[in-house]
Amino acid sequence: MTQDQLCDRGLFFAASDDEDDNANATTAQSVRPASPPSSSPYSSHQKRLFFADSDDDDIPRFQTPRPTVIDVSLVGNNDDDSGSDLEIPSFEEVPRASSVSSLSSGPSLRTSSPVPGPSGAEPPVKKRRLSPPKVQAHTEQLEAPFRTAYLGSFIVGNAWSTVRGKGYIKPGDIIRIERDDPDDSRSGLSVPAKGKKKALPGKGKTKQLTLGAMLKSQPPKATKKADTVVLLTNDRGFEFGRLPQHVSSWVSKLLDLGIIDFKGSTVVDCPATLHSGADLIVSLSVYVRASAFKPASISAEEPPKNMFNQEQETQDERTLRERKTTLLSLFEAVNLRPRRESRVQGDRNTEKKSDDTVKQLTQHPGGTKQKKTEIVGDGEEVEVEEGEELSDNELDVIYKKAQQNDLSMAEMDPPDTFTLTLRAYQKQALMWMHSKESGEISAREAVSMHPLWSEYAFPPEPRDGIIDLTEDEKAFYFNPYSGELSLDFPKAERKLKGGILADVGMGKTIMLSALIHTNRDPESILPDDTSRDLARARQLKLDNAFRSIALGQTKKPTKGPSATLIVAPTSLLSQWYDELQRSSAPGTLQATIWHGQNRLDLDSIEDDSNNDAPITVIITSYGVLASEHSKLLKSGGQSSIFQVEWLRVILDEAHHCKSRTSKTARAVYALRARRRWAVTGTPIVNKLEDLHSLLQFLEYTPWSSYSFFRSFITLPFLARDPKAIEIVQVILESILLRREKNMRDHSGKRIVELPAKEVTVDTLQFTSAEQKIYDSIYNAAKRNFDQLNAKGLVGKNYTHILAMLMRLRRAVLHPDLVADTSDESETKPSGHSKDGAIDVDVLMNDISEHDLPSGSKVAYAESVLANLDTSDDAECPICLDVMQVPSIIPTCMHQCCKECIISYLAICTERGEELRCPTCSQGPVKEQDLIEVLRPRPGQGSPYQELTGDEKEETSTSEVFLRRNDFRSSTKLDALVQNLRRLQDQDPYFRAVVFSQFTSFLSLISVALDRERLSWYRFDGSMDIKKRSAAISEFKQNERKPKVLIVSLKAGGVGLNLTSANHVFMMDCWWNAATENQAIDRVHRIGQEKTVYVKHFIIDRTIEGRILQIQKRKTAIVKEAFRGSDKSGKADPESLENLKVIFGDD
Amino acid sequence: MALPKRIMKETERLVADPAPGITAAPHGDNLRYFDVTIQGPDGSPFQQGVFRLELFLPEEYPMSPPKVRFLTKIYHPNIDKLGRICLDILKDKWSPALQIRTVLLSIQALLSAPNPDDPLATDVAKHYKEDEKDAQRVSREWTEKYASN
Repeated sequence: MTQDQLCDRGLFFAASDDEDDNANATTAQSVRPASPPSSSPYSSHQKRLFFADSDDDDIPRFQTPRPTVIDVSLVGNNDDDSGSDLEIPSFEEVPRASSVSSLSSGPSLRTSSPVPGPSGAEPPVKKRRLSPPKVQAHTEQLEAPFRTAYLGSFIVGNAWSTVRGKGYIKPGDIIRIERDDPDDSRSGLSVPAKGKKKALPGKGKTKQLTLGAMLKSQPPKATKKADTVVLLTNDRGFEFGRLPQHVSSWVSKLLDLGIIDFKGSTVVDCPATLHSGADLIVSLSVYVRASAFKPASISAEEPPKNMFNQEQETQDERTLRERKTTLLSLFEAVNLRPRRESRVQGDRNTEKKSDDTVKQLTQHPGGTKQKKTEIVGDGEEVEVEEGEELSDNELDVIYKKAQQNDLSMAEMDPPDTFTLTLRAYQKQALMWMHSKESGEISAREAVSMHPLWSEYAFPPEPRDGIIDLTEDEKAFYFNPYSGELSLDFPKAERKLKGGILADVGMGKTIMLSALIHTNRDPESILPDDTSRDLARARQLKLDNAFRSIALGQTKKPTKGPSATLIVAPTSLLSQWYDELQRSSAPGTLQATIWHGQNRLDLDSIEDDSNNDAPITVIITSYGVLASEHSKLLKSGGQSSIFQVEWLRVILDEAHHCKSRTSKTARAVYALRARRRWAVTGTPIVNKLEDLHSLLQFLEYTPWSSYSFFRSFITLPFLARDPKAIEIVQVILESILLRREKNMRDHSGKRIVELPAKEVTVDTLQFTSAEQKIYDSIYNAAKRNFDQLNAKGLVGKNYTHILAMLMRLRRAVLHPDLVADTSDESETKPSGHSKDGAIDVDVLMNDISEHDLPSGSKVAYAESVLANLDTSDDAECPICLDVMQVPSIIPTCMHQCCKECIISYLAICTERGEELRCPTCSQGPVKEQDLIEVLRPRPGQGSPYQELTGDEKEETSTSEVFLRRNDFRSSTKLDALVQNLRRLQDQDPYFRAVVFSQFTSFLSLISVALDRERLSWYRFDGSMDIKKRSAAISEFKQNERKPKVLIVSLKAGGVGLNLTSANHVFMMDCWWNAATENQAIDRVHRIGQEKTVYVKHFIIDRTIEGRILQIQKRKTAIVKEAFRGSDKSGKADPESLENLKVIFGDD
Repeated sequence: MALPKRIMKETERLVADPAPGITAAPHGDNLRYFDVTIQGPDGSPFQQGVFRLELFLPEEYPMSPPKVRFLTKIYHPNIDKLGRICLDILKDKWSPALQIRTVLLSIQALLSAPNPDDPLATDVAKHYKEDEKDAQRVSREWTEKYASN
């Protein structure tokens, strides 16, 4: 019918004044339905008439009835899922053109008519707002091939009348669909854009009135209540009725958004005389405006006002959602079905699904979800919503698709400046990354339709009731998830430069170093640098500092960014530095660790502007980045790291910013870079949303928008919609490279050959004293748990129970870790050194003070001491064996094995007997007074000499070293020490790594190692970056002595490269084996040349056995709660199950 | 349970290098159980006698003393009718530094030097205290009667 819409626009505005007045008057009256005048039975009218008589709405007009396309099946069908709070979404992508919220920014779609013509420049009429935007709207729409396109029509069977009387309308009349104006009740309905001039000679001279969009100056949100009224007015602008709420709820939004016209809508049936509430049947014809196809964008950055409430949707996100839901409702109403959907697998009932989708999407995110705390970045704690976590199986499925084609990828050689040799799969990775950055070749082509889009055909528009079937169907594309419309085919591939490198233990650092060398040329400056205008003004100077001159481009004064920024956990900074240096030819790469108090101004890194300028690489930590960012956020704050535009930003262990609301993540998003890489073995830690943060960093539109991601992935996933996984798969396929150590290449060989790994579990028995301590703690805990469990209060007291578990786990390691401080009563001998060393002279003095007159004691003592170094094979009087760690009883100088005498003393204590020397019955003997005799081992210099370097001591004490037994050991500690001794016998220069999750236990271990005179190095989270890197490099240093690195599982479990060691000791067990394995992989990884020996120490019949059981449970995934940092104090069912395992009776 | 190294070592040494006048041999089916003979020391009423004893090493040995008992009847103030021996090192003066050999030597010494002041067989002790000569005669008779084969 109304094809004249294209041309009547000029008219439309010309005479709008009158029109407006009329309309206003009408609306004012009709707010409360008065007694309806009898409606006029005439249908549509001539425009001319309209203008002539516009003041007199009682005059019936003659009009030929217009044909209407009526799809009867649709009647009454357009209800349900559009609730009254439907909201209007807008588009994604690029400048936002039509979103409601953009009003304030000036011209927008809110213009009255769909296609403001030249007349749009006319001065606005009084009371009509929105005139100015017309100009803009006009320009926007110039590009579109059409102004509006027919989408279909539908019948509304239960519209109702608001007036009384005759002559308003009659069946067949053209009607207008308008929005009420809640802000201007006086003027009521401003009917903005009516083609007054009506020069159109065509017969259907309907004036379409679409307008609604411009009626409201506020986004719908602001006037949420009852703001869905949609008025029906006759061609003179008098309101005679309204759409029923279930229709108006979304029609109103469509009008507000200004993307839809209802032209040529007609009355199908109505009573001859209207009265308030009378049923009207109307047919609405739907035209989509060209502007609807203009991409709108949701800015990736959250508006500042939302900074502190990230859980809330932003205005943009909300608009997006509204648009999507209303369009979905519309398509359903006009029975428009996708011609083609890009489903990965054939999709059964689409409508059903979109119903569901709508429902899910209309839920407000947030709500009453459980929150919990996670650690991100450098120890930053953030609250996260408890989402559905993914099992390993699910994760495998997700990654699988992305891995399909990896084997056949091409390889690429790094340039000469890269000095290491890459393995085949590393060359593949280089090829892949190179192509990702250059954007030339897609290593894995993807040309299929974007998974979210559906293809629709414009329905043929009936003209005079006839449908021309010969007309070509034109296609358009709709994204039912975003509400985005497009005329162009939406390809799945996006154009970001970068991706996610998720190889596991494959030498990621080296691969990235190769990439840095390969793609070193700066990018040219974009003429229209739209990347981020923020901070743009002041960045120039800094940018210059980082621009190195590319080969052959010396003439061009301005170069694009060329420096690479690497963000890594603090513990890995120096490793990055070392690896970069190691892999680079001298002078070709200049790496700088940007960390600590004395961070130099990045500005001062000078570029010497010649062709051989080294590649600049800055390495920093998440913690620094976050604090720099908060500096930046302060008013007037500056931070050079955010002002530089980087050629490339690499996030190592990128899951550190997995929570998008954390400071770390926000800092990362604020970086300016051309190319972005996220490097992590776990892009999805345990929730799909973990991925979002990476995508946001990568600026991988549209997924970088949170509401987008949430709407299309998270919520469907929670609703068990397989589509969610498919979408994730498609995303990953295009941006993720993930190979695993055990993958095989096309010839069937493992892509990584690692030496064997031998894992043994040493099951140890408590000493009786330890057993007693443990039992008492365990029994108390179990009693406590049983009581709570019986009352069903376990969940509420979860934190308490975790604390008990923590105590148990410590008790397994060492009694001191659970001892009250009052237990410290054991007096330590004064003046003892840290390793308990004793000066022989002091000892002799002590003895002579207490000697018998005969002096026999002194004589004996002297002979004992004199023979210490020779009497290697002295027999212990208790075990009759060669003494292990001979221990001298200081009062009588008799000796026993340390172990024998200690257990004897323990038994005597238990029996309440006096502690005496077993040989001579002298007493009392105190355990901590015993003197251990340490002899050098074969192949090892004097331990004394090595540790103290005191030459005098060295000569005077021969090679024997005495120390006091003032250190309380434990079963595990003893086991470790014995293993290390054995190791030293086999390999005098062994390197071992010892993991524990308790730093307090690490301290005890270090004391034990001191006493063994073993060189140890410590690495834990409390140390600053310098100390950490010093510890690692000293440990790695090639020296002819054994070395032990003691590492906190949490700080050193990831990222570190410790291939110089090949012995691993796990002192305690973690809740999931994956974490342990990751720690072991620090040693068992690329570069390891020897067999790796791993030993777990487990104490028999303790909580540790139960933990192993839990590890084996299929469903046991990482439960953050067990970390003890859980603040919610609540338990999930899985955790409760685990607790029952722990306190089970079997 | 495996035999501790110490017991094996002691057994070896007892067999390879027996103390004069003392034999000790483990049972084939229980290596913690020893058949022991002690010759009566010269100059004592038990001279010429060969006394059979049994010795058992408890689980806690050497943290606990061995259990030793005379099988041969003996008239001695510190040894009762059941063969039980009153000897401090078998009780509170036990030390893990002592061994089977030292225990048996101590018992041999006990035969040379009865200690009626710390009696186990009170009637014998009384006899020894009141009339040592007569008591020694009885001891000799018993030795001849029970301990000479």
